[in-house]
Amino acid sequence: MEMVRAILRPNSIDRVVCALEETGFFSMTRMDVFGRGKQKGIRVGEVQYDELPKTMLMFVVNSRDTQRLIDTITKVANTGNIGDGKIFISPVDAVYTIRTGESGL
Amino acid sequence: MKEITAIIRTNRIQKTKEALVEAGYPSMTVKEVLGRGKQRGLQQEFCLDIPEPDDGELLPRISFIPKRLLTLVVDDEDVDSLVVLITKANQTGSVGDGKIIVSPVSDAVRVRTSEAGHVALS
Repeated sequence: MEMVRAILRPNSIDRVVCALEETGFFSMTRMDVFGRGKQKGIRVGEVQYDELPKTMLMFVVNSRDTQRLIDTITKVANTGNIGDGKIFISPVDAVYTIRTGESGL
Repeated sequence: MKEITAIIRTNRIQKTKEALVEAGYPSMTVKEVLGRGKQRGLQQEFCLDIPEPDDGELLPRISFIPKRLLTLVVDDEDVDSLVVLITKANQTGSVGDGKIIVSPVSDAVRVRTSEAGHVALS
């Protein structure tokens, strides 16, 4: 199992969630975060914005579904401009459902 | 070293914290998040079954439900007892009790003293 964390533009989230529903990924956790990339934020005229509002989507999926999930997110969230976001993938040892106490997704 | 991420009901966070403190795990990070499971949020108050994949139009719904995300980094041998502890404190038997995710962490550093590894956790 793997954890996929996608940091995306807040205004692309609705489109991404709709596309993921069609692909079969229903479960996710969403959180509002602030972040920046190697451009150190954005400069508008005289004002430098250090941190930009982003939305993070977090999934735990079976390893064989990871690539399909990444492909869907990148296809929908891509605008071609700087600031589209990043996707991070990390290993997960185990998942437990609290209601039943069972292990597994 | 393992990271335990628990996504739980908002009204259970106090009970969970008390249980964790009692068991000797007072350190944690809590964040307000929105989430949903395979029921795709709340579709109707008393209809929490998994929707059929081909039922076309979905009913009006709450697509993301407020949850609390709780993160602890602990030693490997504490993981099993913590999973049982968090499960016990949060189990209501209804859909939406949450998930516990266990993932590996390679190292931890205490910022104040630059200590790394096991001592940084205690």
